[in-house]
Amino acid sequence: MLGRTTRNMLHGAAGLVSLVASLVTPALAADKLTYFTWSGYELPAFNKSFLTAHPDGVDISVFSDDDEAFTKVKAGFHPDLAHPCYDKIARWNKEGLLQPIDTKRIKNFDTIFPVFKDLPDIQAGDGKVWMVPWDWGNTSILYRTDLVKDPAPSWNLLWDKQYTGRIATIDAVHDTPVVAALMAGVNPFDMSPADLEKVAAKLREQRPLLRAYTTDMTSVEQSLASGELVAAMTWNASATTLKKQGVKVEFLKPKEGMLTWACGFVMLKDAKNIDLAYDFINSRLEGDSGKELITQYGYGSASSAAFALVPKEELERLQLPADPNVVLKSTVFTGPMKQNDDLAKMFEKVKAGG
Amino acid sequence: MSVSAETDHSIPAASDRRRRLFQFGMSAPGALATSVLVLFALGIVLFLSFRTNDGSLLGSGFTVGNFASALSDPLYATVILRSLTIAGLVTLATVVTAYPVAYYLAFHAGKHRGLLLFIVTLPFWTSYLLRVFAWKVVLAYNGVLNSALLNTGITSEPILAFLNTPAAVVVTLAHAYAAFAILPIYVALENVPKSLIEAAEDLGARPFSIFRRIILPISMPGVLGAGLVVFVPTVGDYVTPALVGGPSSTLIGSMIQAQFGKANDWPFGAALSVIVMLVILAVVVAARFADKHFGSRT
Repeated sequence: MLGRTTRNMLHGAAGLVSLVASLVTPALAADKLTYFTWSGYELPAFNKSFLTAHPDGVDISVFSDDDEAFTKVKAGFHPDLAHPCYDKIARWNKEGLLQPIDTKRIKNFDTIFPVFKDLPDIQAGDGKVWMVPWDWGNTSILYRTDLVKDPAPSWNLLWDKQYTGRIATIDAVHDTPVVAALMAGVNPFDMSPADLEKVAAKLREQRPLLRAYTTDMTSVEQSLASGELVAAMTWNASATTLKKQGVKVEFLKPKEGMLTWACGFVMLKDAKNIDLAYDFINSRLEGDSGKELITQYGYGSASSAAFALVPKEELERLQLPADPNVVLKSTVFTGPMKQNDDLAKMFEKVKAGG
Repeated sequence: MSVSAETDHSIPAASDRRRRLFQFGMSAPGALATSVLVLFALGIVLFLSFRTNDGSLLGSGFTVGNFASALSDPLYATVILRSLTIAGLVTLATVVTAYPVAYYLAFHAGKHRGLLLFIVTLPFWTSYLLRVFAWKVVLAYNGVLNSALLNTGITSEPILAFLNTPAAVVVTLAHAYAAFAILPIYVALENVPKSLIEAAEDLGARPFSIFRRIILPISMPGVLGAGLVVFVPTVGDYVTPALVGGPSSTLIGSMIQAQFGKANDWPFGAALSVIVMLVILAVVVAARFADKHFGSRT
């Protein structure tokens, strides 16, 4: 008798739980924006006004490489918004993952620098874009000024045998292989099979000198601070972080050019929370949000409104000109790479020792 | 006679049916999990490995090209061999260090046995990643080990060779799998009949002979089980080499993961997985054969 009562109670409880779950889960999913972004880009300070209007209104997942993000989305992860970089837009589009974003609904769209607004791959026609640019920055070598004395301003530092085992580089197709292509005298964005082989040779030459291929910038920063690494390919956020900590580092200005990249918001084709997504993009394009991006990470905002809020001395300290055109005169802009997949496969093989 | 047989039969028939129903009910969840989660998943991997990569989720057409390019490129053989070597070293290190612990637990722990077993399993209450990062703290350039060596004046410069090397992968994995080796060996040692040991002692055998001729052979199934439990998952591991390995310890798991991630070639990744599964199967079969050959009872 007791057994039966218990069983009934259990059944009842199980039924209740599943009922509650079925009521609650869709409600939660419908109310919350899902946003898939670079790790580090999840800070609440970047979308304060959105969080005021929709407290706890966004679910954020992070990635450390946008090629990984691409395969995850392709395999069935469906956020409302994602944050890849410009060089990947054509690829995401070809796979039919995106829907155009209406610029009329983006309040601050006019404050975005024309150099980013006019990028060819983001034009969807009819006042619409595939990506709303939000951030840009540079990739170069961050080195310890006390351990590497007056290095020649060249990417060649990452091939310097003197520093064998004390160098690290970024494990992403749009970074290390692009630099290897520049060093091999090959166009990184469109290469023949023979060119690809030249890049592979350059990468093979580098592998024995490296301590790590990584996208884990926290580890790289710690290793630079401890002196385990003397030089590493990083983004400018690492330079900003380590300088704040008082580590003697400098961001190299290679004569072949730093890499400049730009990233932004894309809306996934089957996004469920379109209004929330527009609110979110609008909130992130406010001057205040961009100011946080500049002062916290040393990255550039795509919006001139943000630069207007940052004092000139601060920008000088961050070595960030208020106009991205000034940067782009001396850097290599990371555009779409036609042989991205071939390059990725080759890079994986070289990393494994092939 | 026939009548009595009939009546005799009717009662077991009912309980037989009930027993069969019970057995069916008990094995249904397992069968369901095996067929859906294991066999179906394996089937997809096998299916995918014969597809051509066209960028879509399941590829198109049928080809053996994935296997051809994996087998013709010596790189994959090298990396598989490297994985087997590292996994072999991990297994050896784990079993050799686990055996004395299990031996002590089984024969000398006395009333503290429960407490000691608890302590052995204690690290497993924390996340695997946490344990890997603990090793990073120990082995790092400015880590515990290097600081100790510097402060005692044994070295004057921090040693770079501790972290981001294959050795770091072996140490980290050996520690991570320690309990998986200790427990089966302990159970095997528990089952060694004490009477055999006493008899051997009475006949004048020395402790080492007892160990070599009685304890070790009887505990061999536990040792082999432990070896298998450690070896199979470590061959395909990719998290540990990514965190503590450095470029020269890329294992086959990392390569497979890259095909499903960055390189965006799922069919090729599936083909590599199938090859690795076959290699592991071959190693396990060879180990069992050798084991039979040496007269173990497994």
